[in-house]
Parts: sequence; C-alpha cells; structure tokens
Amino acid sequence: MESGFYGSSIKCKLEESGIPNTHAIMERVVRWFESRSIFVIAYGTGCGAIEMPPTFTSRYDAERMGVVGVATPRQADLMILSGYLAYKTLRRVIRTYEQMQKPKYIISLGSCPINGGMYWDSYNTIKKLDDYIPIDVAVTGCMPRPEAIIEGFVLLQERIKNGEKAGWEKYDKNLKFYKENQRRVLGDHTDPSYETDWYNLGGGDI
Amino acid sequence: MDLAAKLKKLSLTLEQKNNYLYKVVVKSEQLESLLLSFINEFDYITLDSINCRDDLEDGVFTITYCLQNRNRDHIVMIQTSIERENATLPTMHILWPQAEIMEREMHEMFGVNFPGHPSLIDFALEYWNDIPPMRRDFDTLEYVNKMNPFRGQRDDALDAKEEMKKRREAKKAAKLKAEQEAAAKEAQKVKTNTSEEVQR
Repeated sequence: MESGFYGSSIKCKLEESGIPNTHAIMERVVRWFESRSIFVIAYGTGCGAIEMPPTFTSRYDAERMGVVGVATPRQADLMILSGYLAYKTLRRVIRTYEQMQKPKYIISLGSCPINGGMYWDSYNTIKKLDDYIPIDVAVTGCMPRPEAIIEGFVLLQERIKNGEKAGWEKYDKNLKFYKENQRRVLGDHTDPSYETDWYNLGGGDI
Repeated sequence: MDLAAKLKKLSLTLEQKNNYLYKVVVKSEQLESLLLSFINEFDYITLDSINCRDDLEDGVFTITYCLQNRNRDHIVMIQTSIERENATLPTMHILWPQAEIMEREMHEMFGVNFPGHPSLIDFALEYWNDIPPMRRDFDTLEYVNKMNPFRGQRDDALDAKEEMKKRREAKKAAKLKAEQEAAAKEAQKVKTNTSEEVQR
C-alpha cells in the first residue's frame, strides 16, 4: 500500500508521542479494520446469482464476517461476478468496476469466468475474465455452494490483512494490457473510461 | 371446417400433424394476405412465435408462424420459405405487437430484413460485425478461437501421460507387495498351526 494512504492525522499524533515505526502499525490496524468491513455489490451475471441470497441472509449469514451488500458500485469495496459474461455484460461490468472507489476487489464465482465453462464455444461469451479486469479471488465450482463463497471471503480478508497486492493495483499498473484486451473483444464502442486512459493518451505503462 | 374451405379456395392444404397441431405451407408472396385473413376472418389473435430455420443446401430460410385462436385448443403453423440472399419479410408488428421483438431477434440472428419495422437495432448482441451467428455458414468454433483463445498450460504443468503411467506402475507395485505380504502371512500362519499340532 502507498504510504500515507490512510489515517494520516492519527499517524501524526502517534509520531508526536514518540512511538517508533508508526506507519507500519497504522497500516496494520487500518488493514485489519478494512478486512472486517467489506461492502459487496453482487453483480448477478449468470446462474450463480441464486447463491447470493442464502449467502447473505440468515442461513449462511455472511454479515457475521463483516460482509454486507450495498446497492451501488460507488459505495462498494467488493464486486462479486457470479457466472459467465457475455460481451454485452462485460461492457457494463467494466463500467461498474471503474466506478467503484479504491481499494476495490473482485470475486468471481464458478468456472465460467476462469475458462468459459459450458460456454467455451459460445460466440458471445468471454473465456478468460482476468484478461479484461483483475480478479482477486476465483471461487471454483458449478455453481459454488455458499460455504465456498464464504471461504472466498475469508481468503480475501486474509489477503487484505497481510497487505498483499490487490487487483486494483494491478489494473492501475497494467492499464494498457487490460484496455487492449477490452478493445479486442468490444471494439471501439467501449463506454467512457473512469480510469485515466493511458492507452488513448499514448502514455503506456505508468 | 370453415378454415379448410377457405384454404382450399386458395389452393392450399391444411395438413393435420396431430390432434392439436395443423400446418399450412404457402408461398412467400401469399404470406402477408394469408396472415391478414387468419387474424381478421378466423380470429387467430395470438402469435406464439416466429421461427426461422436455415436450409443452407436449398439456399432458403424456412419461416414458421405459430398461431392460436381464442379457443386455445389448437395451433396452426404457417410455413413459408424465402431466399437466403437479401432475405426480406413483411413485418407483422401491426397485427401482433409481440412480433416486433421476434422479428428484431430474427434480424439479428439470421440477417432477415423487415422493411417498415420500427426498431431493427441491436438486441442481444452489441455492435456485431460478422455475419449473423445463427446462419449455418457462420463458423462458430473458428470465431470463438479467434476472439477467445483457450487459457494456456501452467508453467509447472506435468505431462498427463507420464504421470498416469507412473501412477499405474506405483499402484501395480503396491498391489504386488500387498499380495506378497499376504502370502507370507498365510505361510507363517500355516507354520504356527503345524507347530501347535506337533506340540500337542
């Protein structure tokens, strides 16, 4: 994570009181808090959407781990893509993902986002989702049970806690790669980008 | 049947497929007037579906309109065939409003044109720039391999054939070992039994 990204005022106070290595402590604390409050936008692209309600409601109750659903991408930390993506869906998903505020994560459900699944020979479905947007955790199965989805949450929480490199950082760094792939399947008819479009500006990698 | 008499007048035959399904084959020039008389004279108010079949060998599209009247006790299929090249059909969205979306889909999937149709824009596919995908001369696999190649092998992927061979040999060896052990055990058992008998 970048230095000074979080809680700079508290960090300053800690530094004034003479505690060494304040930055690392602050980062750890903030990361722990972050891992415990994940707001989810559940994008039901395919059949996996049916696994979302039991995951979030009383049967499996993802809220006990701090995972709560929200209505709009601008309030969400995590997007769950449940199932196959047609080109038409992919266009909307990219737009939704770019509207989310950083830090942001993606969990994909099922085998379709990984290798096409049963839609491997469809003329209208993408096969490798991680070519177009970065996936943090891919939960396999067709469809994964709510237990598997919760295990995906736990894995993501561990990664946030350990400060591992997240998908959105990859997306920022390799924007050219992602935008090229998006243009390859969607043509030049992509929606206006919410990220800085280095590809069109001719900037290349950051 | 009143309908049969009318069709006989037009030198068409009402072919019965089973106890609720009837079929009429017409020429494409007759289609519009026949559909019009079906809804106006015989009260076939429901258009179930418009289906298209690509007969590549004959160079035609076979179009089927499925109609129901108020009694809902039978379906009449009106079948016609049109040229594949520059395929054009009269739009039926004025008679049956649901035809609008069916025709829109057919336009997208087969490239059939409907002059006078209010919304022949993209439906499920967006900005499609190849030939329509449900036509049989569209090579789906080639298109898929071009647009979406398969994910490659992992760097640490093992050769499946060799691994299976290794596993089989290991299994065989384990089985042989187990057999030998069992045989040795049995031999020892027999030995102890005989020694006990000797002791007695």
